[in-house]
Amino acid sequence: MSDLDKAISELRACKIIPEPQVREICHKARELLIEEANVVQVDAPVTICGDIHGQFHDLMELFRVGGDVPDTNYLFMGDFVDRGFYSLESFLLLLCLKVRYPDRITLIRGNHESRQITTVYGFYDECLRKYGSANVWRYCCEVFDYLALGALVLGTSSTLEPSFTDKSQAIEPVDDDVEIEIMNSRNEVTARFPRSRRRLFESDGLNSSPPGTPSKTGPSGTGATSDSGGSHHSGGAVLCVHGGLSPLIDSVDKIRLLDRKQEVPHEGAMCDLLWSDPDEIDSWGLSPRGAGFLFGPEIVKRFNHLNDLSLIARAHQLVMEGFKEMFDSSIVTVWSAPNYCYRCGNVAAILELGEDTSNGGVIARSNGDAGRSAQAFMPNLAPRSGPGRRYRVFEAAPQDPRGMPAKKPVADYFL
Amino acid sequence: MADNGRIEPSSHYPSAADAGNSITQHGFKITTRKLPILKAEPIEQMTKRLGIAPPEMIFGDNLVSIDHESGWGLQFNTYDALDQVDKTGGSMLQVAHSREWQSTREKKHEGITEVVKPFDWSYSTDYKGTLRSQSPLFEITTTPIPLELLKRPDPILFFDEIILYEDEMADNGITMYSCKIRVMPARLLLLCRFFMRLDNVVLRIRDTRVYVDFGTGEVIREYVAKEEKYEVVRQKLASRGQDVPAQLRDPNNINDLLPIVDKSLERLVIR
Repeated sequence: MSDLDKAISELRACKIIPEPQVREICHKARELLIEEANVVQVDAPVTICGDIHGQFHDLMELFRVGGDVPDTNYLFMGDFVDRGFYSLESFLLLLCLKVRYPDRITLIRGNHESRQITTVYGFYDECLRKYGSANVWRYCCEVFDYLALGALVLGTSSTLEPSFTDKSQAIEPVDDDVEIEIMNSRNEVTARFPRSRRRLFESDGLNSSPPGTPSKTGPSGTGATSDSGGSHHSGGAVLCVHGGLSPLIDSVDKIRLLDRKQEVPHEGAMCDLLWSDPDEIDSWGLSPRGAGFLFGPEIVKRFNHLNDLSLIARAHQLVMEGFKEMFDSSIVTVWSAPNYCYRCGNVAAILELGEDTSNGGVIARSNGDAGRSAQAFMPNLAPRSGPGRRYRVFEAAPQDPRGMPAKKPVADYFL
Repeated sequence: MADNGRIEPSSHYPSAADAGNSITQHGFKITTRKLPILKAEPIEQMTKRLGIAPPEMIFGDNLVSIDHESGWGLQFNTYDALDQVDKTGGSMLQVAHSREWQSTREKKHEGITEVVKPFDWSYSTDYKGTLRSQSPLFEITTTPIPLELLKRPDPILFFDEIILYEDEMADNGITMYSCKIRVMPARLLLLCRFFMRLDNVVLRIRDTRVYVDFGTGEVIREYVAKEEKYEVVRQKLASRGQDVPAQLRDPNNINDLLPIVDKSLERLVIR
């Protein structure tokens, strides 16, 4: 067993590893990450995850529900640390897995992967408490600076493959018409939504969409066609970022041009990608807080159209149902920290995108390139057909007796 | 702002199936309800009703209520607490790096100057609870809550702690409304606290204490609002040689460092 495998098994048991080893792993991770582009290209199939926030036992539950690394290809959209009690173990485990299986796990940066934020929201204190010095925090922060800002998922399928985990049971084929499937942590299908007659229910985390929205003919060359019956088709490219869009960024290429190897700035495109939020507004808006942007449906639809994207996946905001599709399914929020802060009672979700095998595994490399769509943008354009999406919804792991807040509050003689 | 007067409690908000925990002492029924944060649909309904976006962690079904068999009742619920938040943007705060952020923005995006739906996003509220309509009214008094009686180690028959709402203010601090109640054989104390820390800007604590003497039917409600600039508190903590970030996370540690800016004392007797 290599030292790295030993470290992985220690961390899986929620034990910290020696400081010199942390230094070495962070160094190796940096060497790997420095080679990655600002927007990492990831081939489907892939499982997309949102915020973790140091909830180590729930991360283990996520791996149980979604499959282990390297069997499952993972993409984590940042916010690994802060808030929860095990930021160190969670982040170091993900980092070790990255070093061990670089092609099977992708980590992008969240707004909490920052020196300033981690000093306020727990990660710094946790490092100090567990190691007695800030060294490990410093090593980790150096890794943060090299994390990619986004990922582009290519080669997705518009249809859903049967769920992989339940091999004992007879595999029930998923109808090609199914666009969205929701499963619980016991691998049972709890809801399915067909593409042709989309009747979406808000209580399932899906924003309402007019029934009968037809699937649209995709731009030529993407493999998407209006023929919804029969064989597999491409589900288009999916851009993953932690927060959202920026008024300074109108193409994926502009993200590629940023100088990312720095602390998250207080303003500018890089800041926006990690901080902004979608909202039901006309175009762009300033957050009432005095810093940060909000962006509306037209912004997302235009961006997706111009960049030949079928969907934007982002994290950053707590949602009770674990995921929330907005703006006619042009953007989705994925949240992967169940019972957030050990008190919110919310469920978590991960998003599985299948692989399009219709083209012999050949992927249209041009997806996501700027200016690819020659036709002018028409605001009334219907959203193009998205990838088949399977949301696995899971609850918090049974509470760990060590260090977790007791469910029943302890009576005290407060005044 | 209007005082927290007589409103029919929560008739505008669907109550959850879970009735919560309760205890009855001398005709007073004390109830707490603690449920998960709201789902998307109830959040949307609440947003429409309130006219502002609710906080990120919105425990819309949670409540504490004290009801007397005579019909008197005082309740603390999430909707009414948020309904007292300024919805006009007139008392809006800005995060510490806002000026820096906006000055660079103005040059680059002259088109985007609209603040979307301005309101007090710190969710500062002077909520003191919701009275049942048939209740007798509180009257101003000088009789304080008898702290000495509350310091006695009487057995605690019922204790609970619930959160009505909480928001991380996009990682610029914390804002939270929480309630704590303890019921002893002869009396009860309820503490409802609004706590807000906007990093590098301001700190606020607004406490509403409700004391009930079961024997006499006396109810005392005390409201104390405190506020201080962040930097002033930071310096005081630093001069004490304490770990400043850790201290600033717990309102109990800084309660005595904030000067009182508003207070009221009211009393009524239920017969």
